[in-house]
Amino acid sequence: MNSYPAELLVQLAPVMFIAGLSLPPQSQPQSPPPTAQSPISSTPITQGPQRAISPNPTPQVVSPTPTPPPKLDPFTHLSYKLCEAFRAQRKMEIWQPDKSKVFQVVFVDKEVRFPPRKLAPPTTTTLSAPPPPPPAHQHSPLSPLSPSSPLYPDGLIAPIWIRKHTSLVPSVFVLFLRLYESPPPPQAQTQPPMSPLHDRERAERDRLEREERRGRDEEEERRRDGELAGEVAIRKKVCAERGVKLTVVLMASRRMLDDPSLDTRLTYIRRQSGLDARASLFVLSPVTQQELNEFVHSIQQALWEPSIEYYTSHSKRVRRKRNRHAQSGGVGYVVPAISTPPGGGVPTRPLRPEGWTVRYEYKMACFAEFRGEDEVALKHYQDAYEALVIMFGSTAILPPRTKRWAEAKVLADCVSVKICKLYLYNSEHALALSHHNSHIKKFADFSRGWGIGEETFEFWSWFARQHRILAELLEAGTRSSTPSTLKLPSHTPLVPPPIPTSAPSKGVLPPSTVAKGLELESLRSLGLGLNPSQALMHPGFYYYMAARCTEKRRERFLGVEEIEVTRPGYANSPGYLNEKKVDHLAIILELYTKSYELFKQHTPQPQAGHNQAQMQGRHMLWIAYRIAQTYYQAAKFDMAVRFFERIAKTYRREKWGSMLQPLLRTWYACAQQMGDVELSVRLLVELIGCGTDTTREEGDVSEIEEDLIVVMKSTAPSTIDGPLIVDLSESEPIFEPTVIFWSPEINVNEPAPFQLTLTAPTNISISSLPFTVLSIYFGEERPAVTVYHSSGLEVGDGEVQRVDLGLLSTSEAETGVKEVKGCLRWDRGGKVVFSGAVSSEVPSVLKVAKVVLTMREGKWWIEIPFDPSKSRQAALNNPKWLSSTKPPRYVPVGRSECHSTNVRHRPHELNVRLTHQEPAYLDEEYPIVIDITNTDDRDLDIMVDVLLHPAEIDLADDHITMDDQESNGLIKGVSFGVIPPGVNTAKTLFLASAGAPGDRTIDISIQSRSTAAPSQPRSPITPDTPAATPDMTEVLHTLVVSAVEAIKVVYDVTCRRRLGESRGLADLRTFDGDFRDDAEGAEGVITTTMECAGPWGVEVESVKLVPQDHPAAKVISSSQEADQDEFPSEWLPGDEFCDICRVAVWPDEVDNPEESIQGPGEYEITWRRLLSNGDRGPKSITRFALPSLKAPTDGLIALMEAPAKAKLHTPIPLHLTIRNRHPSRSANIVVQLDLDPTDGFVVAGLRSGRIPTLLPGAEEKISWRLIPIECGFVKVPRMRVLERRSAVATTQPTASGADVEVEGEIVKVVDVRWEGKDVDGNDEGNVESVEAEEAAGVQPTVLVLP
Amino acid sequence: MAPQIRTFTQDDDLKYHYIAHTSLDVIEERVNSTTKSTECYLGLLYAMEEVAVYGYITPLRVKIVLALALTDAVIRDTEMTTVFKALHMVYYHSVSNPFLKLHSPSDSTSDGACLLLAGSPKWRSFRQRVDEVARAVGVVVPTSQA
Repeated sequence: MNSYPAELLVQLAPVMFIAGLSLPPQSQPQSPPPTAQSPISSTPITQGPQRAISPNPTPQVVSPTPTPPPKLDPFTHLSYKLCEAFRAQRKMEIWQPDKSKVFQVVFVDKEVRFPPRKLAPPTTTTLSAPPPPPPAHQHSPLSPLSPSSPLYPDGLIAPIWIRKHTSLVPSVFVLFLRLYESPPPPQAQTQPPMSPLHDRERAERDRLEREERRGRDEEEERRRDGELAGEVAIRKKVCAERGVKLTVVLMASRRMLDDPSLDTRLTYIRRQSGLDARASLFVLSPVTQQELNEFVHSIQQALWEPSIEYYTSHSKRVRRKRNRHAQSGGVGYVVPAISTPPGGGVPTRPLRPEGWTVRYEYKMACFAEFRGEDEVALKHYQDAYEALVIMFGSTAILPPRTKRWAEAKVLADCVSVKICKLYLYNSEHALALSHHNSHIKKFADFSRGWGIGEETFEFWSWFARQHRILAELLEAGTRSSTPSTLKLPSHTPLVPPPIPTSAPSKGVLPPSTVAKGLELESLRSLGLGLNPSQALMHPGFYYYMAARCTEKRRERFLGVEEIEVTRPGYANSPGYLNEKKVDHLAIILELYTKSYELFKQHTPQPQAGHNQAQMQGRHMLWIAYRIAQTYYQAAKFDMAVRFFERIAKTYRREKWGSMLQPLLRTWYACAQQMGDVELSVRLLVELIGCGTDTTREEGDVSEIEEDLIVVMKSTAPSTIDGPLIVDLSESEPIFEPTVIFWSPEINVNEPAPFQLTLTAPTNISISSLPFTVLSIYFGEERPAVTVYHSSGLEVGDGEVQRVDLGLLSTSEAETGVKEVKGCLRWDRGGKVVFSGAVSSEVPSVLKVAKVVLTMREGKWWIEIPFDPSKSRQAALNNPKWLSSTKPPRYVPVGRSECHSTNVRHRPHELNVRLTHQEPAYLDEEYPIVIDITNTDDRDLDIMVDVLLHPAEIDLADDHITMDDQESNGLIKGVSFGVIPPGVNTAKTLFLASAGAPGDRTIDISIQSRSTAAPSQPRSPITPDTPAATPDMTEVLHTLVVSAVEAIKVVYDVTCRRRLGESRGLADLRTFDGDFRDDAEGAEGVITTTMECAGPWGVEVESVKLVPQDHPAAKVISSSQEADQDEFPSEWLPGDEFCDICRVAVWPDEVDNPEESIQGPGEYEITWRRLLSNGDRGPKSITRFALPSLKAPTDGLIALMEAPAKAKLHTPIPLHLTIRNRHPSRSANIVVQLDLDPTDGFVVAGLRSGRIPTLLPGAEEKISWRLIPIECGFVKVPRMRVLERRSAVATTQPTASGADVEVEGEIVKVVDVRWEGKDVDGNDEGNVESVEAEEAAGVQPTVLVLP
Repeated sequence: MAPQIRTFTQDDDLKYHYIAHTSLDVIEERVNSTTKSTECYLGLLYAMEEVAVYGYITPLRVKIVLALALTDAVIRDTEMTTVFKALHMVYYHSVSNPFLKLHSPSDSTSDGACLLLAGSPKWRSFRQRVDEVARAVGVVVPTSQA
């Protein structure tokens, strides 16, 4: 912006003149003339001759009044404070979007004079203060029509016009004046009370005196007020002529404010001076700073409107003139101008109508800007700009390279900046940038026509200036520290993505710009995208552009300079002479540095949580690269080198060789210039490495080799104590290295064959580089293998060379440093394969850790170490093993990790046998013999771990035992001791499985350790390696053992009712706690069949029924007691053994009669397995619990007893027991014996009768005698037992109505001989009822024998 | 890993190397700022020196950078997305060629991306495909692409 007159760029604001304040002394040095408040003084091009401006240019500024600071009278103090407050209001700046009502304050003298408005054309007689009312033909001294004007006759507008309005003419004039105050009454007034004398006469005199004094004072005040009013009136008149609002601020003491006469005085002054009624007279007394600020604020508020009116009236005036001008076609002004050519000047054409349009539009734009009407201003600026473009379009209107043309160009640029700025104020970034671009484009086109096209430095200078001014504008906008007043948070369009986050369809524009409808609408209508040339970036980009343009400017300039050398006088234009003085490189550096800073500022800013370290700042590196290049061009090589060092670091890390290479070249050039031979050598070596990576032409790179040799031959290193180490670990090595180990794994002390291939680059020759030594390192602690160059062996063309390194052992006894001779010269793309075998004593990973190439030439001793495993192409190419050299043949090695091999211990030779006889029986300690034989040639220490897997079977309860360890999971570390070679050891592992049959899984891990200590640290450096990998082998066996039952048990349970006599409730023993009524409950008969189920026989030592106490059941008797003498007995698979026992069961009537009752005992079988060799296995005990039983629950039941057989004609008894087992109800029983003629019995006894009511728990027994009269199975006469009570209950409702024979409910008659129940208590085979009996055809019978 | 640059116009490679390199800044910034965005198209990265640089990132973090000559015209996002998708497919087709790994170690875990680099023999078919895309969009999108 410095290259343009500041007046044309600054933000305009209403101007307020303040007079009558004495400036504070401290601010005197820093308060230069108001024009100097703008940072830049105008350029020579546009600066009109100052003396011509106005007749009285000087007295604008209050001369620094030498106010004595020590005694600060309150009004001086007030004056100082006011000055400060006003001065703080507004700074003259270019970026000032703030729209609050703040004036541009200019301090002036009370007697200030305004520049004359109009001038009589011929003369300049203006020293007479108030100019007479201007005649119609007079013009402003700045008008092109005034011959004395700098614009005469065809100038457009000069910065001085703006300056007139910003510093010479105010919109409001604020005049500070002291209100006269008569001195306070003398102190004598306070004395009278002190005086002892107090006579009336004296009092009277005093009163008279006071009155007289007051009269004098009033007179004085009136006189002073009159003077004051006069002064104001003069000023008022001057102001009124210009339409400037005058406001008077009277400073008075606080006492005065309370004085009742103040009002009248003020009214007097106002009337006398002719001040307006509104906002034109203030009274101010010394107050605090805050109140003062409020005053300053309120006075600005009050004066804002008149100020706006002032500028509006100016606008109106100009518009009138423009309209008149437009109607008259502009002739009206042109004609008189032609008629009066300037005194002795060249006959030039006066200003054309287009020029007048520019003038008027520009003026209106400025006045609108003064008013803060940005949009109006924008419109007028655009019109002015358009008119300017029309003017530039014709060389007739504006002949190029004239003064007016240059002025117009500056004006156009400045108007363009204003337009951009106004767009930016309104957040219309795309429009701003669009305007900027079109301005550049238009004027670039014009420039071609003017002969200052792209081939000239002038063009690029202007181009750079445009970019720079935009950058500066944006920077000013983004830098504004008060975001509240800044309408545009200028960084928003720069930082957030134009296509933010989620949906590109929605987010074409950053949200801030969305607010502005027009832009968005146009974009929407065009489709969802944006014009990249209108995407505003942050100012760093534009500084960068400016720098690039300046570079081009320099190029063009250098071009001209070159021609100038050959043909002196070729370019003698003043432009060239000017350009000669320009330090282009300094400008470029400045611009790049600014750009760099802005990139830095804008890079990490937007997203919180990403610190700068994470952001790579590649843009910055790019710019840094440009800076370094510029330093190089400016011959500041040390600076350039510093930049290069930093940049190269990142580029190396990111392996971006194609950018690194040009950098290295320039760097090398710097090093050459600096004479730093070591750096040169380093860079050359790195360049050779890089050279392999690019696709540059060969001629370019071959010189690197020559350069390197030349450097090495012609110079000497600064120190010759040690080698110069060129570490290429970060960048590319010279050679393409490949390391291949033949096998992925190798045993300790076995040789591992390997090949190290160094392939020379194909696009650069390195055949003459004097490599003397190649050292190959396999690890830190190992000695290197050294290959010396032997010059006798020459390189075959393109052939593969092979250098045999032999067997490289690591045992130190036999090695020092192994040395081999070989050829160390490479042709283009040549390969040298270093092959050999390496062995290791300890387990480790073998690889080639480092390769060091040594070059020696003269005093140079250069070592180039690199890591061969970090190959560029390793991932791409299949590694190949060289199998023969002539012709070269390769075997592909099919693994990617072939650049290393694992060294491990020789595995231990162990023979492990697991012996056991499947299946295992449950409840048995099942032996598994682990038999380990050492078939190795070393003593081995064996440890065994056994893991029993948790069984997946329900109810499994297993454990394992070994030695003295027992566990249901893991047994760890069972030592088998040290087993010498050829010896075997066995141990037995016992598996005890219980519960359900199924498979059991056991893991047996056998770990062997070599007891010989081969890994004693021979090399003291690696004490941790053997510890980390002990010589241990582990063998894992998994055993699945199926466990089956040795003896299978089947129960057969029947239940029957007990037939014992009930004692009845009358017997007292019934109430004993442990009394069991024999008639109650049931009796279970359990038949147990035990079968030897497994594949092996067992020897049973005993079978015992162990009764267990049970409240509801009791073992009554068992048959096994009789069988005890049979044991021990051998049961072979399939053998069965039976036992019967009786169990009495009493159901729990009260609580849960339906529940089955647990068996009151268990069988305990003690057995041993019969082994195949006739031995017996360990004693095992298996237990089987008796099955659970369920007692029958009856209500009312009849039990029939009859003998199974009878003799013909011999009477037999028949009993029927009727039991009422109902807990609470009594029973009313009728028994009928239905005799049938076909019955084979003669019956003696009750035929039909009612039994006495049966109480709950009671029973009644009825007996008959039967005499069989037939032989064979004779049916017992049918009996019907009826329960009348329930029948009564059911038929009662109808009983009264009809004489129905009440039958009753049939009670079940059970033939106890056949009674039997299964465990569940269901009837089984017994007589259900009479009907069912008949239906089934089963009726109790008696076998009658003759 | 440095990309290989092939310019479609006979311009200096270095410029496009720098464009690709610097655009990584903006890509990183955008990718980091948008939380869990699945959007591949990153839009205009920056405009500078006669080129407008657009970015695209595939779900597997392959970055595609397209530099357009800066003209005063609206570039539709849909068009850019289409071009990017075409380029992505080109890359995808080339990478999924099973013969790419013919000569690499069988147990190599590295993907075939690096095999597509310029200069490698496998580069040719990829290049042809890219050229096809360039020809197809040549009407809409003028010249230089990196």
